[in-house]
Amino acid sequence: MQKFQPGLAHAPITPFTSGLQIDFGLFEKVIEFHLRHGAQALALPMHTGESVSLSDAEQRKLVAFTIKAVRGRVPVIAHVSDAGTGIAADRARHAQDAGAAAVVATTPYYWTPPPAMVLEHFAQIGAAVSIPFFVFYTPGELGATKIETDLVLKLLDRLGNFAGVVDASLDWQFMINIVSNAWRVRPDFQLVSGTEYMVSAGAVGATSMFSSLAGVAPARVRQLYDICRTEKYFDARPAQEDLAALRQIVKRAGAGGLKGALRAMGRECGQPRPPLDALSSGGYDKLAAELGALAVLRAEPRGW
Amino acid sequence: MSISLRGVMQSPVTPLKADFSPDLPTFERLLDFHVRTGATAISWPHHKGESLNLTIAERKAFAEVAVRVVAGRIPVSIHVSALAVEDSMELARHAQRIGADAIIAITPYFWLPTIDAIYDYFVRLGTSIDLPLIAYNSPSYLAGVEFTGDLTRRLIERLPNFIAMKEASFNSEKFLEISRVALALRPDFSMIAGVEFLAPSVPLGGAGSYSSAGAICPNLCTQLFAACIAGESARARELQFKLSRLWVLFRDQYPSSLKGGMVVMGRPVGPTRPPLPTAGKERQAYIATQLAELGILETEPHGW
Repeated sequence: MQKFQPGLAHAPITPFTSGLQIDFGLFEKVIEFHLRHGAQALALPMHTGESVSLSDAEQRKLVAFTIKAVRGRVPVIAHVSDAGTGIAADRARHAQDAGAAAVVATTPYYWTPPPAMVLEHFAQIGAAVSIPFFVFYTPGELGATKIETDLVLKLLDRLGNFAGVVDASLDWQFMINIVSNAWRVRPDFQLVSGTEYMVSAGAVGATSMFSSLAGVAPARVRQLYDICRTEKYFDARPAQEDLAALRQIVKRAGAGGLKGALRAMGRECGQPRPPLDALSSGGYDKLAAELGALAVLRAEPRGW
Repeated sequence: MSISLRGVMQSPVTPLKADFSPDLPTFERLLDFHVRTGATAISWPHHKGESLNLTIAERKAFAEVAVRVVAGRIPVSIHVSALAVEDSMELARHAQRIGADAIIAITPYFWLPTIDAIYDYFVRLGTSIDLPLIAYNSPSYLAGVEFTGDLTRRLIERLPNFIAMKEASFNSEKFLEISRVALALRPDFSMIAGVEFLAPSVPLGGAGSYSSAGAICPNLCTQLFAACIAGESARARELQFKLSRLWVLFRDQYPSSLKGGMVVMGRPVGPTRPPLPTAGKERQAYIATQLAELGILETEPHGW
């Protein structure tokens, strides 16, 4: 059996109607856009897809809808994180039944369990499925609960389908610790860059990447990824700097920044769901002006 | 006034006698060891040199030895950060008087200064001397007080002698926010990783690093930098993993574990001043097993 690798996984936003319901019609356009513009896999609904603002039923429906719409053209990785272990494990089972290629989950929301229970959380989610299971580490969003090398080694011991870590810590020591130790036990263990900061991650061993900015600048994201996969990291620096600049502009605009950037590229996707702040018209104008000044976006697709 | 900072630069530990008093003769041997084994610059006293546990008079005495012993063979920078800004100003003036090549300073301790206060501090420090100034960014040790890209830009525009950054976030996003601004404005600016995280930083324009383990394994440091600049990704990764394992070993009770390791390598430099612990026989024995496992004992110089 060939080992599953995400490759360049686009992480799409979730569009809502003005009544704040998932806009499945528009979402189909979003999916098609990603597939036409370099996605080798889709990972959803990630935090940039507002997973935490979707009900359990909505998350299941979104994943099933996507798998059906994609029709096997690329693998779909389902993000199943939750506060409760059982809820996340059930969602993982559902994703597998719906045809997901892999599942990914973070440390639990809200709770700060002791290390043994963090291990239990991941072990139960992973054991709920037979498809590959990835741990998503995003301490910037989830603060207190740390993932240590010891946890990863214990999880490797318990789960045959524990495929790797998706890193959004951007922390060099963390990535090196995890991958250098995991490779001794399981040489095909994968480090996945959870954002477009792929140069440093690739240099220490990352082979796949999740990208939310691929909705905005898919061509540059694909270039960055492709160069990194040839391990010519010096050559990747211009693309890395372009995408870092784009990321900072989107980040400064706040929670509505990503959808605002999509609108500026001619791909209107509405506003985020509460409690995230919608982008004000003044905020949008500022964002659009900053994006307009970014040379790299001139080579990117406009509209759908 | 121009100096070149590139490669693996050494920040020596501070040798102390058994009664914790300064051991200047051993400091001379240590400086000479670093110069002979490939250091491309000396910078003293970083936190690894127990800077904050030395009196201002002691710091001056050691600094004078450093400049005299290195004797122009490679550049010598003096770290001037002290709890009181007035002491830092005095150490900077002293560094200039004794013929140091540069000064280095971290963001002010304890007070959680605003961005504008950090800017004012570096302007005051940088304009008080004619030497090159290296800034030092260490957000995780200073409660998040850190350089932003914008602060870096303002300081580069204001200070012609601001030539380098010791960047110790070890984080892709933070490094890039500083590097892409600094290198665009001042192409010969040196981005220096705080310790030997060279594989993730050199492809992004990093000029080199300071060193945690240089007194233990200078050969490994030199080999890693060579692999990185040659773009030998697989070899760089392998050497990086080794050095990162040493960083994990030494970071625990830094720098006392490092001083313990130096005993193992036949280069004893005495105890570590309280409140930091001194590595006892048991800790030294553990370090010895780790160094043996990594092959350091066979591949690196023993004794002075």
